[in-house]
Amino acid sequence: MKKSHTRDIIQKYSIYLVLLAMFILCAVVNENFLSVRNLTNVARQLSVGTIIAYGEMLLVIAGLIDLSVGSVLALAGVLSIATYQGTGSLALGFLVAIVVGVLCNLINAVLVTHFDVPAFIATLAVQMSARGAALFYTKGQNLLQLKDYTIFGQGSVGPVPMPIIFMVVLTIITWYIMNHTRYGRSLYAIGGNEGAAIASGINVKRNKYITYVINGVFAGIAGVLFMSRVNAGLPNGAVGYEMEGLTATIVGGTSFSGGVGTTMGTLAGGFIIGFLNNIMNLTGVDSYVQQIVKGGIIALAVVVDIRSKNKKTQKVILAADDNEKEKEKEAAK
Amino acid sequence: MKKKVLSALLCVAMIATMLVGCSSGGGSSEDKGGDDSGDKKDGYKVAYIARAQEDSFAAWLADEMKAAFEEYDDMTLEVFDGEANDEKENSMIENCIASGFDAIIIQANNGEAQLPYIQQVVDAGIPCITTNPRVECEGTGSIDADPYEQAKVNCDIAVDQIPQNAKVVVLLGPAGNFHSTERRNAWEKEFFEKRTDVQIVAEDIANWNKDEAMALMEDWVQANGKIDAVVSMNDNMAAGAIEVVKDNPDFKDMLAYGVDGTAEACLLIKDGLMTSTGLQSAIDLAKMNTEAVHAVLADGKDVTEINDNVPAPLITADNVDEYIQMYKDNGQIKE
Amino acid sequence: MRVSGINKSFPGVKALDNVNFAVRKGTVHALCGENGAGKSTLMKIINGIYKADSGQIFLDEQPVEIKNPIQAKEHGIAMIAQELNYVPEMSIEENLFLGRLPVNKLGKVDWKTVRRETIKFLEQENLPYSPTQKLKTLTVSDIQMLEIIKAISYNAEIVIMDEPTSAITNREVEVLFEKIEQLKQRGVSMVYISHKMDEVFRIADDITILRDGKTVETHPASEMNLDQVIALMVGRKMDNVYPKEEVEIGDPILEVEGLGSKGVFKDITFNAKKGEIVGFAGLMGAGRTETMRAVFGLDPYDEGTIKVHGKPVNIKKVSDSIDQKVVMLSEDRRRYGIIPIRSVMENASVSSLDKIFYGGKSHPKVERELVSKYFEKMNVKTPSLETAIQALSGGNQQKVLLAKWMLRDPDVLILDEPTRGIDVGAKFEIYRLMTDMVEEGKTVIMVSSELPELIGMCDRIYVMNQGRITGCLEKEEFSQEAIMRYAM
Repeated sequence: MKKSHTRDIIQKYSIYLVLLAMFILCAVVNENFLSVRNLTNVARQLSVGTIIAYGEMLLVIAGLIDLSVGSVLALAGVLSIATYQGTGSLALGFLVAIVVGVLCNLINAVLVTHFDVPAFIATLAVQMSARGAALFYTKGQNLLQLKDYTIFGQGSVGPVPMPIIFMVVLTIITWYIMNHTRYGRSLYAIGGNEGAAIASGINVKRNKYITYVINGVFAGIAGVLFMSRVNAGLPNGAVGYEMEGLTATIVGGTSFSGGVGTTMGTLAGGFIIGFLNNIMNLTGVDSYVQQIVKGGIIALAVVVDIRSKNKKTQKVILAADDNEKEKEKEAAK
Repeated sequence: MKKKVLSALLCVAMIATMLVGCSSGGGSSEDKGGDDSGDKKDGYKVAYIARAQEDSFAAWLADEMKAAFEEYDDMTLEVFDGEANDEKENSMIENCIASGFDAIIIQANNGEAQLPYIQQVVDAGIPCITTNPRVECEGTGSIDADPYEQAKVNCDIAVDQIPQNAKVVVLLGPAGNFHSTERRNAWEKEFFEKRTDVQIVAEDIANWNKDEAMALMEDWVQANGKIDAVVSMNDNMAAGAIEVVKDNPDFKDMLAYGVDGTAEACLLIKDGLMTSTGLQSAIDLAKMNTEAVHAVLADGKDVTEINDNVPAPLITADNVDEYIQMYKDNGQIKE
Repeated sequence: MRVSGINKSFPGVKALDNVNFAVRKGTVHALCGENGAGKSTLMKIINGIYKADSGQIFLDEQPVEIKNPIQAKEHGIAMIAQELNYVPEMSIEENLFLGRLPVNKLGKVDWKTVRRETIKFLEQENLPYSPTQKLKTLTVSDIQMLEIIKAISYNAEIVIMDEPTSAITNREVEVLFEKIEQLKQRGVSMVYISHKMDEVFRIADDITILRDGKTVETHPASEMNLDQVIALMVGRKMDNVYPKEEVEIGDPILEVEGLGSKGVFKDITFNAKKGEIVGFAGLMGAGRTETMRAVFGLDPYDEGTIKVHGKPVNIKKVSDSIDQKVVMLSEDRRRYGIIPIRSVMENASVSSLDKIFYGGKSHPKVERELVSKYFEKMNVKTPSLETAIQALSGGNQQKVLLAKWMLRDPDVLILDEPTRGIDVGAKFEIYRLMTDMVEEGKTVIMVSSELPELIGMCDRIYVMNQGRITGCLEKEEFSQEAIMRYAM
């Protein structure tokens, strides 16, 4: 009994153990890895991807997806910069990014909830349109001379870079949403079995709207951080970032079939990928080989996770039988 | 329910007005292209099939093409977007042959893939010019910017500038990309073979992207401590690398070379952060294409006689002001 | 067929302990036992899904080894599983020939033969469907019939049926029993697993009782009676199957007047009074489930009024009816009931999130206490509150779902086929709960296809047919014949 309990814990926290193992391995392989400067770099590099991953996590848990986030991020980013350049107001620039992110995601939400377009297709359509809009507005050229706008991505409070602060704050917010709100709990139910969620009195449509809106806010913030960090408004920027976000989410234990996933798992997933990229760059692994290794590790991480979960379910079924019998015996006595 | 639909429609409308409003305010000229060829008197209809409007250089070239054609009364231009997709680009070529254009200018996405379709243009008896990149096909003319040359002009000064036993990092474009490969070849032959003392401490693909180059540079700075020079196959990636170290006093003397001569690179050169870049001028490229196609259509010049390269002038701190002025004129750099 | 000395252990559990039983040729052998008694494990071993640790299976007294279901099929063993295996998006003919489509030399599917055979089957079984109809458009009971046909069409010599009647109507049960009779004549042996004792006694020649993985006793059916079988199954005596108590009946709590939904049901008028258990009988497709779904706010309705405690209420979605303290347990547990991968605790609290999340934070302790309280009341058996609900037996899942609604303290509890496919013990507990509810002055509506249970538990029974209420029987008029008269 005691032994199986330890195994339970190992399975529950398998993703963190993978992360820890990776951390130790990286530290052993390269002496530069453990420097404060390097770890700060890693955190800063993965901040945008992780913020996107939180939005994707909410959606995937609810059985949805967003393939438009990379494009929406770019559109929000360039319009935000244009607003800043036009008005000189950082606050207004920031606000515009969020508004654009939310508006694009309202389109996603309308298509998905009212017209029953599969989320995959709906967001793919928005992906194209948003990218087109960003390119159309900038005529395909990078926006330059960002001046103070770079504070969001390059500034820091004390020794802590701003993107990391944003990431930490949004991590806390996401964690709070998932663990301390009815909405968060409802998402698990919706993704776990939409029919049952409806029959339990959950307003599924409204919750889907909320999810896309939150995703939009995150996409807007990510857009500001991204553009500000690279010190340019790149209408072609962040192509394929939805995949980065989804990868962190899935590696972090969120199930593509919906209903399962945690904030901390996603954060761990983000760090696993971040460490992986970092250590391969530090040690100078050939970039083609990097791709091979990354693909392999991602597949491996998910396989390990799924396998440990399957075992868990199996064992529990038997335990249930066991338990049932024990109780019956007691009752018989 | 209705309210929600309404609000969503409102959103779409808002975005649309925002975009239209902004672009008409910021844009320098209306880009009508050749859509309204009916307004003009009988003239030659020319098709330009661009590689991809998403590619910032290709987009710039398309704009300059439209502008260059405005100068001619007897020619109109229609621009098509190949969407960085061979299949799309090929079907665009087929469509243009069928629509009876007088001449077709093709910016290939992938020369090999477009070759049979370019051959179809030739077979149909339509004058065809390939540009940026040149596609070798009998019966066509070409105007190109030579990627080897663009990198070579940098190498020529780098040979003297880069210090003895320097540590350099190399940033590459997408794997297999023609321009990236040619530029890298130039660096190999014109620089690294001449300067065997220089050590490449890291080399990786950043896909022309600034953000990817930043992430690589951050890690390389960690791994190597000091880097004497950045050799980048385009300006975007060079700008990314510079972004990482621009406030770091240890890297005050770092050299950085790019290709393209983008507005951003010019500003960086002006600020003393970047060393040099080889200009690939969309303006020159568009002008030469337009002149060439006019010579063929109006003056009866044989298209196969056209085979030119735009010059690839080197931009350094000494001459950067004139290029900054060029970008100010076309609105990419604001005052 | 004979099995001898079968042992099977899973880590920590002895699932089967020296099990023996023999099926005589051309007879029906019923296997009885509570959930978890080892029936399904035994059948899975016979079907080659699990491997026994020790023991031997004999066919015609020849020892055989069955490693997988395909081998089982080759030995002439067909199994009709309790959980239906079908592809909703595929047509009847595709499902019927799934995995064994006839092909010609070039590997091209011979659709002509498929079509011809399918039509033949459908005609034989009197099923009014076209071979190209998608399975998702069929009722559960028809799908079940198809499964049975499919199994039999392999020319099996031994047919194992695991709860074959859990989802089909009485009329179809008759058809099935006829079928079983025909198979017997052909010399086919059958193993019949069911919780429905009346069925067991009707068709079984022999009965084997399993308890805690052991064979308790085997007897000819003619030598046993219901009470004996139940006593052997649970290992103790159970005095009353239906724990119905007399409760004083008061004013109507729920009143439905002239409810209609185009093409589904019409003119539905009924009420359910304080202290009353109201039954809804009818054949499958009579519109009972659809009516209840509309009352509960799951489906829209076009006309009519719903009153709760005499006040007209506007029910557009489920949360409206929950606010009115009207709740419903769906017939389709897997589609509208459980959230399989989530914990039993979350499944139980999902409709009461307002009681757990308040003041800007969650209160896990409150949740734990609330859920534990109702689990205790409902006698839910689960290893822990964190266990995924999919790991529980059907009966326990059903009790978790009931606990979910009990958390809302409902005035009207609508139960749609609440005892389908669950074991005797859990059934009894659900009946107890119904009795408790009405004793507290609430009302219970039970939709059921099992007439004995309706007759045993209800105070009044409405009968529906083709989307209309065709009759209402008072307690003294109850009889299976009377109900069936209105239902047909």
